[in-house]
Amino acid sequence: MKNQVTKYYPMLPVLAAYAALFLIGRNMSGMWQLVAMLLFYCALGQAFNIFLGMTGYVDFGYVAFMGVGTYGMALAISRLAHIEGLGAGIIVIGFVLAVLMSTMLSIAVGAVALRLRGAYFAIATIGVNEGFRFLIEGARIWNGSEGIIFTAQLNQILGREAASALATFWADLFVLIIAVAAALVTLIYMRSKIGYALTALREDEDAAKVMGINVTKFKIIAFITSASFAGLVGASSWALKTPYVFPPEVFEIHYTIEAIIIVLLGGAGTLLGPLVGGLIYGISKYYLSIFIPGFQLLIFAPIIIVIIVVFPEGVVGMLKAKTRNTAAGRFIV
Amino acid sequence: MVFEQLTGNLFQGLVLGAVYGMATMGLSLIFGVLKVVNVGHGAFVMVGAFITFWLFSALGVNPIFAIPVAFVIGLGLGLFFYYTVIQRLIKAPELATLLATFSIGVLLQEVVKLIFGSEFRGYNWTVGKIDLGLTVLPVSKLLASLGSVGIAVLLYIWFNRTRAGSAMRSVVEDSEGARVCGVNVGAAYAWSFALGIGLTVTSGVLLTMFIPVGINPYMGGGYTLKAFVIAVLGGLSSPYGAFFGGLVFGLIENGSYTLFALLPGVEPFALTRFLSFLILLIILLIRPTGLLTRK
Amino acid sequence: MKKTAIIALGFFLLAFVAGQAPAQAADSIDIGHPACLSGKYAKAGEQAVGGIKACVDWVNNEYGGVSLKGKKVPLKYTYYDCESNKESVTSLIGRLVTVDKVDVVFAPYSSGLTLRGAPVTEARGMLYMDHGGANNKIFQQGFRYVVQTIGPASSYHRGTLDMIHKIDPKAKRVALAYEDSEFAKMVMEGAEEHAKELGFEIVFKRTYPKGVTDMTPLLSAMKASRPDFVLGGGHFEDGQLFNRQMADLDIDTNAFSLIAAATLPAFYDALEYMAEGVMGPSHWEYGVKYSEQAAKSAGTTWIGPSQDEFVALFKKAAGKDMVPDYHAAEAGAQVLAYALAVEKAGSVASDKVRKALGDLQFMSFYGGWDVDDSGLQIGHTMVDVQWQDGERIIVWPESAQTGKVCYPMPTFAEKAKGKVAVP
Repeated sequence: MKNQVTKYYPMLPVLAAYAALFLIGRNMSGMWQLVAMLLFYCALGQAFNIFLGMTGYVDFGYVAFMGVGTYGMALAISRLAHIEGLGAGIIVIGFVLAVLMSTMLSIAVGAVALRLRGAYFAIATIGVNEGFRFLIEGARIWNGSEGIIFTAQLNQILGREAASALATFWADLFVLIIAVAAALVTLIYMRSKIGYALTALREDEDAAKVMGINVTKFKIIAFITSASFAGLVGASSWALKTPYVFPPEVFEIHYTIEAIIIVLLGGAGTLLGPLVGGLIYGISKYYLSIFIPGFQLLIFAPIIIVIIVVFPEGVVGMLKAKTRNTAAGRFIV
Repeated sequence: MVFEQLTGNLFQGLVLGAVYGMATMGLSLIFGVLKVVNVGHGAFVMVGAFITFWLFSALGVNPIFAIPVAFVIGLGLGLFFYYTVIQRLIKAPELATLLATFSIGVLLQEVVKLIFGSEFRGYNWTVGKIDLGLTVLPVSKLLASLGSVGIAVLLYIWFNRTRAGSAMRSVVEDSEGARVCGVNVGAAYAWSFALGIGLTVTSGVLLTMFIPVGINPYMGGGYTLKAFVIAVLGGLSSPYGAFFGGLVFGLIENGSYTLFALLPGVEPFALTRFLSFLILLIILLIRPTGLLTRK
Repeated sequence: MKKTAIIALGFFLLAFVAGQAPAQAADSIDIGHPACLSGKYAKAGEQAVGGIKACVDWVNNEYGGVSLKGKKVPLKYTYYDCESNKESVTSLIGRLVTVDKVDVVFAPYSSGLTLRGAPVTEARGMLYMDHGGANNKIFQQGFRYVVQTIGPASSYHRGTLDMIHKIDPKAKRVALAYEDSEFAKMVMEGAEEHAKELGFEIVFKRTYPKGVTDMTPLLSAMKASRPDFVLGGGHFEDGQLFNRQMADLDIDTNAFSLIAAATLPAFYDALEYMAEGVMGPSHWEYGVKYSEQAAKSAGTTWIGPSQDEFVALFKKAAGKDMVPDYHAAEAGAQVLAYALAVEKAGSVASDKVRKALGDLQFMSFYGGWDVDDSGLQIGHTMVDVQWQDGERIIVWPESAQTGKVCYPMPTFAEKAKGKVAVP
């Protein structure tokens, strides 16, 4: 029993960090929107890490799951707004739809792309992301390129005050909850059969297969879990906080890259990594844009190259190696 | 009416396809030898476009003469990035090389932006037009297309008739075997990467001969995505496969528009894009070695 | 190693907290702006910042500051770079309204980013002025503090249609080819509707995707529909390509008008003779005849620098020899609208200034300014510009003309031989 509890010790630093972020955001003036941005990056990293970090497969089309999640929420709000008496229930429907849609897409993509490995997988997933976007625009699905703008509907359903609180506070809180939930799921996976199987897979997929591990099953579990979290992030951070969907913006490959950077910076496959990576990435981005506007990318690009070459295991990966077999080591996973 | 349009478009597609094919050979060569996907591919195309633009508008150099200049600069860039970055990542997981090549691309974009600014530029090299009845073709496009074919042929001769070329080819086919046979695999890696980048930068010249506007630090993204589709059509690791993949892609892109336009209530142009990515997925699934390679 | 990491982390947290500088006393009226200085809207963003700086400079130094409660108060302009990225827009607006305690927020460029920031400013009852989001739908969402200076997208091609309707009654066949994006689609809708009202026949109506690199198949199909004139475009890069490939395919029409691209100097630099005779609607163009006298005869208030003063101030603000385009002008005009409204309201409180803006009507170098109840710009009319022998000539409306229109424009073959589009 005691063992059961100590297994989850590594959640403590994660919870502490998110609680601290929440308190800083609520109590220091002017910090909430910054904290909201940091939470977005952390949640993005936590969600992506479940697949990218644990399997080592690079999904270059990850943003597609956020995109369909955004559409899920937007469709729920814009299509159901006329139904009386739904109230805040419409948000719940939106989240359910977001998870359903991203899960469905991930099952479809997983069935196809997860047969591929390495670079072939990466290219296939880019293809899915771009192809899906052009299908929406070309076949004029969900309003095509005009997208959906739905602040008016939100105001109508929830009332102006509540709708505005939703966009400026609750949406960010949802992102925090999603980030914590994604971290918890990561830890549960790590401490169960899935985690061991995925570690074996990451080291050597063929050997894992020979050992009798059902590699495909665990890959798909990680893929779908990661994708449904992405759908939730999209639904809250892009649909509730940003009351519009335009296809080129929600399928922008740039966000996949940001997610990869965050995971790699913090340490792929670690629990704390995405949190640390998200904070470092978000804070540097924020202050670079304030103090040297216009040169962020010129500074970021070489730094990232250096990190890949010199510290491929990321910040938490390094910490983990240093603290192995010490008291602190139990908390850093 | 539709038929005439289709024929005209297919012809245009073939001419453009040769340039697309040439623009993908570098990507395929690098993947074939090093198993590295160059996600920064488009940025190197952009460098070639800026070399052409600058030589033409500042020094009045004919774009044809920009080809060797771009090739040499490309070789230099390739060697530089190989020894500073890629060499250290050969054995690293995909994640590292994908992100590294992407960051190299971003770095190039930002450096070019610092030098030239983010304005969209273009140049006018007017050498006449040919009226073919079904469609009109500027001579500069024809030259770009013929130039692409010429470079592909030269590459073929080099691979098959020279010692260095055969050594590199043996690394593509079997790097362990090549090592046993006394090929310096390290040098072959470096030079294949350099050659791949050289070809990519050169393709930037040819692409601006084809489309001499929209030259901008961020122009490469679209070409990277196109190159992925084309490379997959050709089997991802074969430069010639890529060249023929380009021809097929040009035909599909131009031909399918006319057909999609017959459907009601759709945006045919976006659907041609959808189709190209659909084909990418299908080929990866059923025949990842490409359409044109022998099994 | 662990120590280093902890020190680094501590340093980071310190930076995180220390970056929050205290706000200064209210001896100025503060404008905050999450500007797009890098990323995909960098070009328009740089123009906007220059335009705002120029007009802030004018208000403070020429005008002597904003009259507020018997005092002349200077404007202060604070901007950060949002990288054309929505996550940064909200976090920077959060900083502007709470740390910098600005009195008004200017929206970033594009409809999408404008919409992203709106809930944050609305929640605080903060005035949010839109100079770069043309989507009409922004003003159908029930926002109370969003006020537009740029004209709505649906009106971009109205003038061109009116002009052709008047000068060439025989022209009936119009082709529409726009970028597949929310903004261009809205322009297309507006153009289609107005074309039908005027009795034109729409013979071709298609879009092309964002980031297009070859438009040949679309243009071949358009050529086959034998239009009398062509309206289209989206952003800058596709406009250049559109014109270039029209020339490559020898598609000759009486008139050819492109949104966003055709009015910028870089358009002609890249295309040279091929751009001769090409037209484009513009919110503002150097050479427009808006002046203090014009305002007087129209019976409306005039404020702001003259056109030449504005260009000089812009160059000073930009620190280089850059020519302002309409992105700069509309952002600058917004400063003037705000200054006037503060004076009228006698306060910087957002609700009072918003009300004053609702009643405000004035003219500046940018032209007329007037908004309806939703905040939508209705007082500003666009001009139509045509490239004639390398110069941008305002050809429509007749009241703002700097020259006659060249119609029909010369064919591409004639232009290649050196013929210029001079009437």
